[in-house]
This record gives sequence, C-alpha cells and structure tokens, in this order.
Amino acid sequence: MNVTDLFTLLPLLILGGAAIVVMIVVAIHRSHILTLTLTLIGLALAFASLWWIAPEAPRQVTSLLVIDRYAIFYTGLVIAATFAVALLCYGYFERHPGNPEELYILLLLAALGSAVLVASSHFISFFLGLEILSVSLYAMNAYIRAWSLPLEAGIKYLILAASSAAFLLFGMALVYAELGTMDFAKIRELVTASPDLNRAVLLAGTALIITGFGFKLALVPFHLWTPDIYEGAPAPVTAFVATVSKGAMFALLLRYFYWSGTHHFGAVFLVFTIIAIASMIAGNILAMLQTNVKRILAYSSIAHMGYVLVAFQAGGQLAVQAVTFYLVAYFITIIGAFGVITMISDGDRDADSIEDYRGLFWRRPALAAVFTAMLLSLAGIPVTAGFVGKFYVISAGASSAIWLLVFVLIVTSVFGLYYYLRILVALYSGLAHEEAHAASGAAMVSSSSLAPALSISGGVVLAVLTILLVWVGVYPATLLNIIHSTVGLL
Amino acid sequence: MLHWLWLIPALPFAGAFVLIVFGPKMAHKAVAIIGPGTIAVSAVISILITYSFITSPPPDHVFVQNLWTWLDVGGFHPHIALYLDALSLLMTLVVTFVSFFIHWYSTEFMLGDEGYSRFFAYMNLFVASMVTLLLGDNLLLLFLGWEGVGLCSYLLIGFWYTDPVNGRAARKAFIVTRVGDTAMTLGLLLLFTHLGTLNIQELMHRAQQQWPVGSTLAVWAGFLLLGGAVGKSAQLPLQTWLPDAMAGPTPTSALIHAATMVTAGVYLIARTHALYSIAPAAQLAVAVVGTATLILAGFAALTQWDIKRVLAYSTVSQIGYMFLALGVGAWSAAIFHFMTHAFFKALLFLGAGIVINACHHEHNIFKMGGLWKELPVAFWTFLIAGCSLAGLPLITAGFYSKGLIIWETRAAEHGNQTLWILAVIGVLLTSLYTFRLIFVAFFGEAKTHVEHKPGYSLKVPCIVLAALSIVGGFVETPRFLGDIHVFTDFLHNALPAVVEGHATGMSELGSELWVTLAFVIGLVVSYYLYMVKPSLVEALTAPAISKALHRFWFSDWGMDWLYDHLFVRPVVWLARIDRNDIVDSFYDGLAFISQVFYRGLRTTETGRVRWYAAGIVLGSIIFVAIVLFA
Repeated sequence: MNVTDLFTLLPLLILGGAAIVVMIVVAIHRSHILTLTLTLIGLALAFASLWWIAPEAPRQVTSLLVIDRYAIFYTGLVIAATFAVALLCYGYFERHPGNPEELYILLLLAALGSAVLVASSHFISFFLGLEILSVSLYAMNAYIRAWSLPLEAGIKYLILAASSAAFLLFGMALVYAELGTMDFAKIRELVTASPDLNRAVLLAGTALIITGFGFKLALVPFHLWTPDIYEGAPAPVTAFVATVSKGAMFALLLRYFYWSGTHHFGAVFLVFTIIAIASMIAGNILAMLQTNVKRILAYSSIAHMGYVLVAFQAGGQLAVQAVTFYLVAYFITIIGAFGVITMISDGDRDADSIEDYRGLFWRRPALAAVFTAMLLSLAGIPVTAGFVGKFYVISAGASSAIWLLVFVLIVTSVFGLYYYLRILVALYSGLAHEEAHAASGAAMVSSSSLAPALSISGGVVLAVLTILLVWVGVYPATLLNIIHSTVGLL
Repeated sequence: MLHWLWLIPALPFAGAFVLIVFGPKMAHKAVAIIGPGTIAVSAVISILITYSFITSPPPDHVFVQNLWTWLDVGGFHPHIALYLDALSLLMTLVVTFVSFFIHWYSTEFMLGDEGYSRFFAYMNLFVASMVTLLLGDNLLLLFLGWEGVGLCSYLLIGFWYTDPVNGRAARKAFIVTRVGDTAMTLGLLLLFTHLGTLNIQELMHRAQQQWPVGSTLAVWAGFLLLGGAVGKSAQLPLQTWLPDAMAGPTPTSALIHAATMVTAGVYLIARTHALYSIAPAAQLAVAVVGTATLILAGFAALTQWDIKRVLAYSTVSQIGYMFLALGVGAWSAAIFHFMTHAFFKALLFLGAGIVINACHHEHNIFKMGGLWKELPVAFWTFLIAGCSLAGLPLITAGFYSKGLIIWETRAAEHGNQTLWILAVIGVLLTSLYTFRLIFVAFFGEAKTHVEHKPGYSLKVPCIVLAALSIVGGFVETPRFLGDIHVFTDFLHNALPAVVEGHATGMSELGSELWVTLAFVIGLVVSYYLYMVKPSLVEALTAPAISKALHRFWFSDWGMDWLYDHLFVRPVVWLARIDRNDIVDSFYDGLAFISQVFYRGLRTTETGRVRWYAAGIVLGSIIFVAIVLFA
C-alpha cells in the first residue's frame, strides 16, 4: 500500500474522518445545526473527492478494495442519497424529544459501510462493509428510544441481520474451503480453469451467500422483516434503509456474481429466477390491502427489488446499465416518498396511516403534488424516472429473452398500480370525510391529526428530487451518458 | 436564427409552468405580462425565423432541430426533434401571431375574473401544445401536442366550472373528440407497425415506396387519420361538440375553437398528404366530408340566435371548405384558407366578445340591434371580418382564399362539378347567415343600453386583425387579378402543387363570377329579409313545415338527438341490464383471488422474530436443496 493507494481511498477516508470529527464535536458541544453542517460538509467533500480520484481508476487497493469507475459511481450515489437523508433528518429530529446529534455519526458510518461494499472485491471487505453498515443501522432504527416501535424495529433488525450474516459467513467459508481464495476475480479463474471441482460445496456456499444478499435486499423468502422495520424505524431512517443499504448491496450483488462467474451456473440462475418471481408477486400482493403507507412502501420495495433482479438476470452490459438506471430512479423516488412522510410526521408519531393522507392535496398542495409524482414514478407512469427505469429493465429482459420474468414483471406491475392509486385517491379526496371526522369528536381529532412545522431543508430536498424525477423521465440522456461511461465498464 | 426554433414551444411552456405554480399569488399585472409576453416573444421569433427561412433557406427547405433522444433501446429511439418546413413554419407563424393578439385582448377581457392567472396558464399551455403539434418531427410529439391541445380545450371550455352546463360542454367536447382520437391512434399505430418508424417524413417516404396506390393498408390508414382530423376539426359526423364549446370564455372560442386548434385536423391531413395521394378513396372521403359539413353547418348557422353559436357553425362550415380543398388535392389552397380564416374568424369572436360584454352578457342577437353607433370600432372591424368571411369580392382575404378553393374544386384532377356546385351554394349560405347576423345585431333599433365600452387592449387587436383580414388575401390572386402566387410558391417545397384536371366549360374567371353572384344574392336576400321587410321572416317561418325545418336546422340537423338515441341511450340501457355481466365476474374473481392470496400471505407476517428467522432458515435450506439437486 503506497501513497497513491491511500489517495484513491480518499472518499472512504473522508467519510470515516467526518464521522470522527462529528463525534468529537458532539462530545464537546451539542448543537443540531452544527452537527448537520459538519455532516453535510463531510459528505460534500467526499463527493468532491470522487473527481480527484477518478483519473486513478481503475485501481486495486490491496486485495480488498477496487476503486474503479463502477465503485466511484455507486459511492457518489450513496453519498448523494445520504446527503438528502441527512437534510430530511434535520427537520424530522428537530421536532422530536431527545438528542439528535449522534444520528449523524451513525449516518456517516453507514455511508462508509455502503461505500466499502460497492468497492469491495473480496469477501473480507464485503463482510466488513456489511457489518459497518448493519451495526449503524441497528442503532439508527431504534434511535427514538421513547417510542416502542423503533425499539422493536431495531431489535428485530439486529437479530435477523445477525443470523443472516451468519449464513453469509458460512457460505463464504464453504466457497473458500473449496477454492482457497476469497477474491472475486480469482474465484472466476478457478471456477473456469478447473472443471473437476466439488461443485456441491461451491454451490451450497453460493446459495448461502444468496441468503445474505436476499436478507439485505428484502427478497422473498428473506423479506419477512421488511414491513416491521419500515414501519418502526423513523421515516428518514427508513428512507436510508430502503435506498442506500439496498442500493449498495445490489451494486455488490452485481459485482460479485458477474466477476466471480457464479451467475453462469444454471442452478444459481434458477434460484434467482425463483426469488425474482416470488418477490414480484408476493411484494405486490402483500401491499394491496395495506392501510399503512410505510408498510405499503415496504412491500412495494420487495417487488421493486424483484424488478431489478429481472435486469440482473438478463446479464451483460445492458443489464448493468438497466440495473443502475433503475436504482438511481428508485433512489430519487423512494427518498422523495419518505421525504413526504417525514415532512408530514410530527413529534408524536410518524404519518403512516393512509388516513393521514386523505385530502392532503387540500391542505398541503405542494406536498401532495410531490407525493403524486413519486407514486406515479413508482408505478412506472411515463414522464417520470420510474417509467424510463422500468422501460430499460424490460428491454434488458427482452433482449436476453427471459420472457417468463418479463411477463411476471408486467403483470405484477398492474397489481402495483392498484395500491399506488389507492394512496393517490386518498390524497385528492376526502374533504367530506374530514368534516365527518371533525363532527365525530374533537378529542379524537386532536389526538390523531398531525400538525408538523414544515422544515425548509426538507422542502428543498423534495423540490430538487421532484425536478430530478421529471428531468430523468423526460431527458434521460444525461444520466444514461454518465452511467454509460462509468458502470458500463464493470 | 433557425436554431432558436425550440424557443417557440419552450417559452409558452415556461410561461404556463410559472403561471401554474406561482400564478395564484401573482398580481394581475405580472400575469398580464408573463402570459402574453411569452407568446409575444415566440411570435417575434417565428417572424425572425420566417425571415431567415425566406432569405437564406436551409438545404431542401427543411430544417430539423434534433433536441435530444428520449429513449434509445433496441432500434426504438424516438427523438425529441422539431421539423420546420414551409407548412409548419407558416402555421406556427399564424398560430403564434394570432395567439398573441388574443392574449393581449384577454388581458382586458378577463380582468376581474377570479381565475385570471389560471386562464393565462391554460392559454399558454395551449399555445405550447399547439406549436408542439405543428413542429413535431415524429408521431410521438405530434400525439403529445394533439392531446395537449385537447386537454387545454377541455379545461378552457369548462373554465367557469361552477356552472354544471359548462362542465357538461367540456366533457362533451372531450368525449366526442376522443372518438376521433381513438381512430387516429389506431391509424398512427398502423403506420408505425407496418412502416417501422415514428418519423413523419420517413413514414411518408416509406408509405409511398412500400404501398401501391389504393392499397388496403394505405386506405385504412387514411380513413383512420381522417377520423382523428374529423374529431378535432369538428367535421361531420363529429361536429356536435363545437357549438357547445362556446361555453368557454370568448377569447378561448376565438383562439382555440375558431382560429387554431380546430384546424389541427387540416394540418394532420396536409402533413400526411403523401399518404392520401396513395389512398384515393380516403382522399375522396375528405372532400365529401368537407362538402357535406359546409352545407349542413351553413343551414344550421342560419337558424341560430346566439351570436357565438352562429360563429361556431360558420367555423365548422369554413373548415369544411379546407377539407374540401384537401380532398381535391389543392393542399396550399386549404392552408391559404386556414390563414385568412384564422384572421377573420378570430376577429369575429373578439368583436362578439366586445358586443357581449357591452350588452350585459347578452348572447341573443335579436336582443341587440343598433350597436353600430355605440361600438364603432367593434362594428367596423366586425363588418370587415364578416365581409371577409362571406367573401366580399376583390378587397377581402376570404374572397381570394375561398375563391381559390372553389376554382380548384372544379379544375383539379380530383375535383368535380357536383362538389363545385355545393361549394358555391355554401357561399350563398355563408353570405346569408353572415349578413343576417350583422344586420340584426348592429342595425335596426337599439334594444339594449351599452354601458361597457372597450378599452385599447380590446380594440387594437381587433384593428390589427381587421387589417390582416383584408391584406392577408393579396398574397395569392387569380390569373385575371394580378396573378400573384407568393403563397403557393412559398408552400411549394412542402406541399405539392395542384394536379390540374381538364375542367370543361368553366374558366377561373367564370368560377369567381359564380362565387360573386352567390355572395350578392346572399347579401341582397338578407338585406331584404332583415332590413327592408322583417315581417317576411315571420311569414316564412310561420307554416308548420318551416317551423319543423327551423327546429331541425337549429338543432344541427338533430345530430345530438340522433347520437343520444343511437349511442348514449343504448349504451346506458346496456349498462343497466348488464349490471351483473359475466365478464365482470372474471375481474371480480381476479380481485377475489388477489384477496385470498393477500390474506394467505399476510398470515406469514406474524411480527414474531422467531418466525422471521425460521423463514430465513427455511429459505436457505430450500435454495441449498435446489442448487444441489437441480
């Protein structure tokens, strides 16, 4: 490891450094706005450093990390998303009792873990990144200690993530036992070079690694935790779990299975096909009759990860680009959607019941319009980023002729429309209902209606995300060019 | 200069966006600057582009501005591109120019309306959509513009939405044009699937190469596109929505339902003229539809008492002339009439707006009378526009454009004598109903007191348009009157010249003389009936038969009644008896199955960690089993 190596790790170092700085500052002087500012500066610096290190890419830094354009792109995505989440957190935790400052340390660490994940080319860095991310998330999920739901979410996530990590670790061990290497690229060499391997051990190991991925990505049948954690965690943290954690994991999934060549195994392909179909169907059906918006988004995220898997299954350059495009669109949309939830929630509880959104348009037209845009994007309606993303996923699937997956994707998308529309209908209707509500008893209303003070930072984030959403939907060329010139080289 | 083309649709879009987002909180003054201002800049840019297009024409007289590619996957790569040729340039110029004057007029007309900024937001959006429709390089953009103008039309007809009647009129317009739009969508899809491109020029090129003249596909495509054109341009049999569309504010009627949007169908057919040249049956249908419409609407206009409805039927009738011209292959004559019609018909509506405002929102022409002294500007400009509409020989624009169409109906290869005779009768009808309107509304004894006098913003646009209604015709004159062909020469690169047939027994001068005769008869008859002997009108309408006829024409030949009985009631009846229909049960079943699955799957969400962990374990075991034994 020399100076250039160290230099290439600059974004990771800045993220880690920022976490330490914030920790020290919090210890000396508690100030929410100061902590936020330092966090944002750290994230901005890390983001800027991506341009400085770009000329060095691709570079293998030790055998653990590879800083190529793919890693740089996804690190950028992770940092940008964390930046947005941090801004959302500010308005949200400002309204809550308790000290909000430590959350930003965890947020920076989680971003660091995610950045390690997208750059890892080795089981060790894979596992380290995963644990840095997971341990931060345990605490973030349970951050509001005064409420029982976040605590429950934190504990559940801790137990389940730990057990799935055990499976993952065992899978890695099996692969290592058979091949004697933990380096992704070397695995490919050995798998292709020596046909007389004991494939059973290798395959069993791969299956257990899929368990690890499946848990983090909330794919069926490892999805059961999703709604409880989405519902329990504070809204901005849920946004982080839904985007950064999953996006980084998916980037790694792509890298691991494409680099190690294990995606070419018929059995592995079959397993992913089953997972994708099951996720698309179960996610969409489970969301249908839910009345809790956070749970609806949880189930819909299961389905969305299933959609991305369709592109993953297609294989090849188009698949990498389709996955990346879809993930970017998904990041924008989900952070936007949870941003709206964040903005509407107040210091007493999160706005998660569909009833909280009834007639929102008449009270807060701008927020309702943003939420509408986000929901339409999730449903894949044209002129939004979600449409173009889905279009690319389907065309990736069609170009590889995996018709069954494409067919299931299209059919289940129709189911999806149903529950997005349910929220939309609620947004624009229900003045009469509200009056009835008011008549039924003032006491009940005062306990259930939300009256948050809108935060400026959150408003800015939502405005930017909405513009991005339409921009990417109408003029996808910019994003496509960036994706083409970066992740196209995986 | 040509590279500024994208600004023409972009500016009104931007204006609409600003007005939608910030409009409600803006001062009236700011709205009145942003709304018409963006259109003014667009109009100026179109003038500059026209200048540069004429002085230094781009290669092949075509300029394509490729803005960006929306998607690029597997050979499907729709460009967001603008296509500028003489046809789209001319129409864009007229649309932006006329729109600007109507916007300007509206700044005073709509003053005091609580939806002031909303009105300008819709109007800007409309101009942007219309220009997109005109400049679109491919079917996707054309469709976007097409639906955009439809939406704006709906929004503006129902602008005063608190009155349910307006809402109903808006819905009627939307649904009736939707019938045509469906046909058009089918036509576009047919073209796309068989010819494999969305680019309009490429499409026309391939159609001519791949399809022989009269081939079934070409005829089908021609008829389906005609369906769309008929809906948007309010031609037979889908014209019923336009008279009701007068429920919207008068500037809307002037801009959308007279001058610009309703000619979208004319543009569509002119744009796809290559298709019609290989589909003679469809082209003949265009001519027949146009002729039938111009006659029927002429009779309907004769019986109306609402000033705006008279003008609405006259619009339907005049667009019939444009369709007739398209049908006989006189492409540039149709566009010529579009241009002059845009000037005088917009002016007629603006004048009507002043009159209606002055007479306490009175629409009935029989309750007006004697207005020429009270509203001199409105009267004189209205008179000029009316003469142009009726085709006052030699000096008005309408005479030249209509005369050209009628002559080509006789002289062109696809023309014939029957169509010619009907077109001349149409002139007679036009002259009759136009002067009936003018004599009844502006002359005779004053029946109402005028209190609201128009200001400058109302008067200046009228005067400008009045000037255009006269000089607009001098760009194309018959052989015996100067033989000027500036207009046709300009369009020559975009639209083919008329293929002359062998017109026997008629010269251009003869045709124009017949047109003049028809005009004079109409003028004299209506002067006699409404100025000299009004009692004769009552005597004429007294017998039962003429009463019935009057009612029949007044109700637009009973078309609404017919559609109500032919489509609406059967459908409602069917829906009622088919309440529990078998097809529904399939969807109910689907919903039921989904519910069952939902319930079943939901039981897996127990909330217990041990169960969740078991899920992970079970899943792992299953997958290990699959990879080992599959």
